[in-house]
Amino acid sequence: MDLHQNRKFFYVGLLSLVAIVYLIKIFRLQILDDKYEQKAIKNALNKIPIYPDRSIIYDRNGKLLVQNIAIYDLVVFPAKAKGIDTVAFSEIMNISGEQYHKYMASATENSKKRQKNNVFNGSAVFMSNLSKQQYSAIQENLYRFPGFSVEPKTDRLYAVKGGAHVLGYLGEVSKKLLAKDPYYRPGDLVGITGIENTYEPYIRGTKGVKTVWQDRTYTERGEAKDNEFNSPAQAGPDFYSSIDFDLQEFGESLLANKRGSVVAIEPSTGEILALINKPDYDPNLLVGDARAKSFRELLIDPKKPLYNRAIKGVYPPGSTFKTVMALIGCQEGVLKPGTQHGCSGGYHLGSLTVGCHPHSSPTDLKGSIGISCNAYYCQVFRDIIDNPKYTNVKAGYAALEKHLHSFGLGAKLGVDLPGENKGNVPSIQQLDKRHGKSWKSSMIISLAIGQGEILLTPMQMANCAAIIANKGWYVKPHLLKGIGTSKYLPDDYTKKNYTSVNELYYDWIINGMEMVPKPGGTAFGTGINDIVICAKTGTAQNPHGQEHSLYIAFAPRENPKIAIAVIVENGGFGATWAAPIANLMIENYLKRGKEPQRPDMLERIKTSTVN
Amino acid sequence: MDRIYSSREDNPALDTIVVWLYILLVLIGLISIYSSTSEVNQTFQFSLSSLAGRQLIWIGGAVFIILTIAFANVAIIDYFAYGFYGFAILLNIAVLFWGKEVAGAKSWFGIGGFGIQPCEFAKVATALAIAKYLGTYGIRFKGTRNVLITLSLFLFPMLLILAQNDTGSALVFLSFFLVLYREGLPGWILLSALWLMIIAIARIVMEATGISHIWTMSSLLSLTALIIYFGRRNKQLIFATLFIAALSALFSIVVGFAYTKILKGYQRDRIELVLGLKQDTRNMGYNLEQSRIAIGAGQLLGRGFLKGTQTKMGFVPAQHTDFIFCNICEEWGFIGVLVFFGLYFGLIFRLINLAERQYTAFGRVLGYGVVCILLFHITINIGMTIGIVPVIGIPLPFISFGGSSLWAFTLLLFLFLKVDEKRR
Repeated sequence: MDLHQNRKFFYVGLLSLVAIVYLIKIFRLQILDDKYEQKAIKNALNKIPIYPDRSIIYDRNGKLLVQNIAIYDLVVFPAKAKGIDTVAFSEIMNISGEQYHKYMASATENSKKRQKNNVFNGSAVFMSNLSKQQYSAIQENLYRFPGFSVEPKTDRLYAVKGGAHVLGYLGEVSKKLLAKDPYYRPGDLVGITGIENTYEPYIRGTKGVKTVWQDRTYTERGEAKDNEFNSPAQAGPDFYSSIDFDLQEFGESLLANKRGSVVAIEPSTGEILALINKPDYDPNLLVGDARAKSFRELLIDPKKPLYNRAIKGVYPPGSTFKTVMALIGCQEGVLKPGTQHGCSGGYHLGSLTVGCHPHSSPTDLKGSIGISCNAYYCQVFRDIIDNPKYTNVKAGYAALEKHLHSFGLGAKLGVDLPGENKGNVPSIQQLDKRHGKSWKSSMIISLAIGQGEILLTPMQMANCAAIIANKGWYVKPHLLKGIGTSKYLPDDYTKKNYTSVNELYYDWIINGMEMVPKPGGTAFGTGINDIVICAKTGTAQNPHGQEHSLYIAFAPRENPKIAIAVIVENGGFGATWAAPIANLMIENYLKRGKEPQRPDMLERIKTSTVN
Repeated sequence: MDRIYSSREDNPALDTIVVWLYILLVLIGLISIYSSTSEVNQTFQFSLSSLAGRQLIWIGGAVFIILTIAFANVAIIDYFAYGFYGFAILLNIAVLFWGKEVAGAKSWFGIGGFGIQPCEFAKVATALAIAKYLGTYGIRFKGTRNVLITLSLFLFPMLLILAQNDTGSALVFLSFFLVLYREGLPGWILLSALWLMIIAIARIVMEATGISHIWTMSSLLSLTALIIYFGRRNKQLIFATLFIAALSALFSIVVGFAYTKILKGYQRDRIELVLGLKQDTRNMGYNLEQSRIAIGAGQLLGRGFLKGTQTKMGFVPAQHTDFIFCNICEEWGFIGVLVFFGLYFGLIFRLINLAERQYTAFGRVLGYGVVCILLFHITINIGMTIGIVPVIGIPLPFISFGGSSLWAFTLLLFLFLKVDEKRR
């Protein structure tokens, strides 16, 4: 009765057809295409950053300056944050409804960006640096707000109140940096200035990654162990700064209620011992939830407490510049210890007069530095650039310019701080523009005494002092003593840079500088017994008001340990403010732990106000 | 009747191969349900209230069904075939009134914490009833009356289930057309079905992409013209061709109307996604892509037991029910798929052979009923997960979580095994 037995093969064929077609399709998905495994991992694995501790910062003597403290970010996964009671939320977080929407909008944008970049699965910072009140309030209520979580981060905790411009501060990472460096997430803290900024790549440490499984609704489903993405956070290595914080603090107390800057350098190493600016600010202001508010206040403060004069401020070096001019004169062969020039209350040439203060005349090289004769250096300057060995004045000036550049002037020194100013050594083009194409030495004579177009930063002045102390070379000034256990220091900060002035001539100038704090010198009365301080005062004309008080020095003469430059804005004569401050700091550094010899002077300086 | 079901005990056991394949498949199902409802890398924990635990209870029930069948008198099956069918029809009518709605389909009876889906049992009852009818002495699948009765035996429950808004389960009843082919349904009907499918797909592509109707119409016309030209001496051929062309055109218009006016947006989306006409439509596209990712992520050896993140954390929809095949693919890889296909298609192949060795139309039709229902389920379910068939929510027999489905398939399979045991 069974008429259709052959039709069995139809079923077997159909069965085989389905099996084969499906196996081919599955083979293509599983074997030929290998993108799916990565897609599955991307779906389910959420990489949560673990924030490392930043480097702990010590001074050169191992004194603790900066450490870390845990702070908290409120993080949101916008896709999951649905049905939030924004009124309750805003109340708990003490923000306005408007702010809530603003924060959420920016978090949503960041979250989308992150997902597009395939970096992490998109949670984004909603509010960073929660205050203690906000943190405890939200912790208790997190369950009410799906999609929100609290992530720990580290912020700075300062052990000291000073050194603000050395240490710098942290701030939220900028959009520009975010676009450039995928290491950062919005809301991250980065070094904005100071060594925090320069050494950010070292100091920040290395973020770790904790991976967790998360399901389609972005709910965490346990930690994902044993995968290639997990890594522990690595704290930044210990950071040793070259700063001598006791000296720094002492200097800050001397410069209190004044406007100005002090830079002290160890000549043999180029290590910066102190970098002081006044006015400044307490670094403790720029941490935690008060950061943004404090920063805004500091930014608009007319006293400019954020301004790092030591490397950004430029001043005419005034008479301190005579030391450099003398060295170049010697090198150019127009000046010897015995060279004498007269001074009749100034330098007179035709209708030109460069004034000078009354002193015995004529003077030799040593005396010209000790009593700071203007006329002497006008003559030296003219001898240098009008030297018959050069075809014309511009060739002579070009030689002078070259020498000045070898002292690190007119260019950035390469200090390890952001935003250094290069000062100014006027170029021939600049002089052409100012004085017409056919200028003469007499027209630019004020350069001889450190006035006119010549501008130096306090850092460059201190470096000049260090060069003279070293008799002809300097190591780029730097704030880093060493990073980590190996005390790593870039080669650039151990290399000696030589000036174009021969070592032989330095003693001739130093002889004069030794006279300065002694009887007959311009800074007589500010010296310290049993320390041979070699110095030069300066008084820089200031078109905006009272002259600036300047002083460069190093000590002791043999085997110098410290070179220093001090500028007190509107302080008048160099001997009035700058010299005592520098000499007291030299004493503090070289005679540490001993009774100060000049308590009267110390007291006067500390308590005086200069505007 | 006694002549057919003699009491000779020459086949004293249910077919061993099928029983073993059944046991393996049910265990694979249990493992996959456990895996797709647990956490990644979770240590072993089992409770009867978990989904895997509930499946174990269902399996216990299935064992009870098997034992009952094994020890029952085979005559009962034949005797109660229509009664069972009637009962199933009544249940499927009742569920329209007293059932509860799950996911838009009113096809469940809630009993305590468990639910029963009567449509699952309608498949078994229908297979039995058709087998019984065509197995009746003197009745063959021939003649208007017999054909109409046979067709209405499965089209009626199919309509009932459509009324329950459970399209997927209703479509399963189409597999009885395949059963009937073995019983003499002319081949041209199946060919016509194929032709209609081609026309339907062409029409849908046209509707979805906005290609002008003129192209298909004119190609249909020129095809007709060609046949007429070359067969101009054969009047019958010309008439047949014209008839087919006219019917095709009419069908195309009906499909076009149904597609644009009757189908709902999400149904159109499903079809268009599979036809590759749409790249993505929010949820459907996402689900299909997740399903593909899960399968693809398995690669050759699989990601390992309890390591399939796609099928544990909600990325793949219905990960322990309709899409459970993804879990097998993700965790056991292509090797696992080969083994699984070997077992599964091996089972059906074995069942074809069992069906062929029946001496009665009753046994054969019942056997092919099992074969075709299983094949239909597998083809649709797996085809849906790998993205070559539209998403139609029907379970993967023996594997998917669910008591009704497991019990119904167990019943269907073992009733046939019992009949096979007592064949002659």
